[in-house]
Amino acid sequence: MEERTPVLEMRDIVKIYPDGTKALKGVTIKVYEGEILGLLGENGAGKTTLMKILFGMLKPTKGRIFLRGKEVRFKSPADAIANGIGMVHQHFTLVEVFNALENIILGMEGHGLFSKIDVENARKKLQKLMDELNFQVPLDVPVEKLPVGTQQRIEILKMLYRNVDILILDEPTAVLTPIEVKELFAVLRKLKAQGKTIIFISHKLNEVMEITDRVTVIRKGQVVGTVKTSEATPQLLARMMVGRDVVLRIEKPPKEPGEVVFRVENLWVKGDRGEEAVRGLTFEVRAGEIFGIAGVEGNGQSELIEAITGLRKVEKGKIYLKGVDITGKKPRDLYDMGVAHIPEDRTHMGLILEMTVMENAILGMHWRKEFSKDLGLINWAKVEEHSNRLIKEFEIVAPGTKAPVKSLSGGNQQKLIVAREVSKKPEFIIAAQPTRGVDVASTEYIRNYLVKLRNENKAVLLVSADLDEVLQLSDRMAIMYEGQFMGIVKPDEVTEEQIGLMMGGVKA
Amino acid sequence: MNETFVISLLLGSLAAMVPIALTSIGAVISERAGVVNIGYEGILMLSAFFGAIFAELANNGWVGLLGGALTGLVIGMIHGVITVYLKGDHVIPGIGINLIGYGGVAFGILAYWGTAGQHQVAPSAQIKPLWMDAFGNSLSPMVPITIAIAFIAWWMLFKTPFGLRIRAVGENPEAADALGINVELYRFTAVLIASALAGVAGAYLSVDWLGTVTKTIAAGRGFIALANMVFSGWNPIIALGGAFLFGFFDNFAIYIQNNPWLAGTIPWQFIATLPYVVTLVVVAGIIGRARPPKWDGRPYKRE
Repeated sequence: MEERTPVLEMRDIVKIYPDGTKALKGVTIKVYEGEILGLLGENGAGKTTLMKILFGMLKPTKGRIFLRGKEVRFKSPADAIANGIGMVHQHFTLVEVFNALENIILGMEGHGLFSKIDVENARKKLQKLMDELNFQVPLDVPVEKLPVGTQQRIEILKMLYRNVDILILDEPTAVLTPIEVKELFAVLRKLKAQGKTIIFISHKLNEVMEITDRVTVIRKGQVVGTVKTSEATPQLLARMMVGRDVVLRIEKPPKEPGEVVFRVENLWVKGDRGEEAVRGLTFEVRAGEIFGIAGVEGNGQSELIEAITGLRKVEKGKIYLKGVDITGKKPRDLYDMGVAHIPEDRTHMGLILEMTVMENAILGMHWRKEFSKDLGLINWAKVEEHSNRLIKEFEIVAPGTKAPVKSLSGGNQQKLIVAREVSKKPEFIIAAQPTRGVDVASTEYIRNYLVKLRNENKAVLLVSADLDEVLQLSDRMAIMYEGQFMGIVKPDEVTEEQIGLMMGGVKA
Repeated sequence: MNETFVISLLLGSLAAMVPIALTSIGAVISERAGVVNIGYEGILMLSAFFGAIFAELANNGWVGLLGGALTGLVIGMIHGVITVYLKGDHVIPGIGINLIGYGGVAFGILAYWGTAGQHQVAPSAQIKPLWMDAFGNSLSPMVPITIAIAFIAWWMLFKTPFGLRIRAVGENPEAADALGINVELYRFTAVLIASALAGVAGAYLSVDWLGTVTKTIAAGRGFIALANMVFSGWNPIIALGGAFLFGFFDNFAIYIQNNPWLAGTIPWQFIATLPYVVTLVVVAGIIGRARPPKWDGRPYKRE
């Protein structure tokens, strides 16, 4: 069995970035025809770097790549595609205003640069491809109007249209809802049945366990080992990935919630396109309580948070903090009143990536007296002290306080946001998708920290698309569907099936 | 209003439409590919000047237009190399081109023809009109050519692989790059097409429509063309309509100024702003807010 020649082999790949970072320290992987190989590792382990090298986006410092026994070296993604290797990135590379058909045929529209594009012919070919895979995407709608799950299928179709037989998927489930993940896995199984080879990059144990045939685990730029999925357990993989046993459960002592800190009454909020995104929500969050909101993304969660944090207009209803009406208050006023906000999109709303760690560490507090000198100048010595304290307390791995935030890994960026928000000494914390795209160790840290805040009698509002996270952390949880709560339940008094029904729009 | 007046107004509008339409269409193509150029005013100036020289040397107006296109191409190459290949800023080179345009032409007229500020292009070196009446109203062959160019540009942008790729590199060059499209080549080509069209527009001013080279011959048309491009929603055919509208009110304003009764009532300065105001209001009102190409004005560098 091991005598088979791999369809693809990457041998002793080393990658050292110009700034001296050693991303890969001699990685060898083998992929056999028709299998799904899992590439498991934490954020920053080097999985994506390795695949970018394979896909011709990065040049390896050292190492060789063999495709069907022959040595190859790809100069560009187009080169890799021409050799039958396709990649679907974590961040899609779609032209947003183009429809699916235009996105897919781009670059191979047919003969003649200045002749009319044969749309009907392309449509026929695509329809056949979709029929084979047993799914449909709308071909004539601009892709920006489509859900991420559909956009991902368009990316997959784009690669298949180019006849690739090795498909790399980089964290394909990171942006998907649980239902979309199931659908994606069905597609992957279909592809495998057609004889395609798939490399599945992930840091999620259960997904790797479910879909792959073999798993290669990478840690800190080195291969830890390769195991057959049928012979592996999540515990084993977790140990290989992190290098120690991971506490997959969060310690959460029982606690009686205190007085009501935050209250929303009959809240109505409009979405970007004028639709009713939040439709008459009423709920409260008490001191010493984590109130979770679960649900498939795009059901009004983002609009709800934006309304609460003063970033979006409230159409109707009231929001109270400690009995004071805060409806329509500005974000700055809310901060001063003790609200902290861990936003759902850290790179766009949470941090300014080009700015340094210490500058980011005081965003939203930069006007406070503690950081200023006479004449309103910023007291940088104080700021540095503050950042160093955060780095130490939250175990943030950063090259220094003056390093740009973009040089930090996703998990450490997120920890910096949590640290900053918590340092504002809030009474009420809104945590939106707090561990999205964050490695296991940081996830564990952040989740435990939210519980710690709860234990310190703070009120926490947790909004997450990660159902496990909501179940694990919440004292009470609501399931949101089309702008309404399908029910408010206690996590330990509800079955997965009941939650699944509520996520699908059936009231409890 | 008699028949002669209507004909005169219509022909005058079409004549004034040509330079703005050609420049706008070019700008649409360039920005669809993601390259901003605010130097069209300068290209109009320089190509009006060099176009006239070419025309007089060959004693042929068409050679003048070709000379204008070549002038535009050379300037476009400079802009393209800076913005597309050297990943430079898209606005700064345009400022330079405009400054060179105004300074260079004012100096050039004096240096080449020895007259200050103005040179009358020899009638034999001008483009012959397709049609002309006894009152001096005429129709230039450039009018139908410009209309054709607008439709060809639209068809090219929205129906052909070339256009799809142009739009792709302006919207998401990374996606295009990953599919083997040479982003730099398509962007550079688009810049060249744009500046060549502006070059033809400039030469049209001197060897056809106005028949003269002056030190302010472009008269802001390069900037009007840019505004027209934005309000057209980056669509060549709507840009053609916007250019006609501008031409119409440009002529209408001249008519009002020449009408003693009206000119006495309304200050001429106010009337002179009419074409600018009306074009912006109408075109902006019809199109509303359009979204520019996502990577418009941003250099693309592979990571």
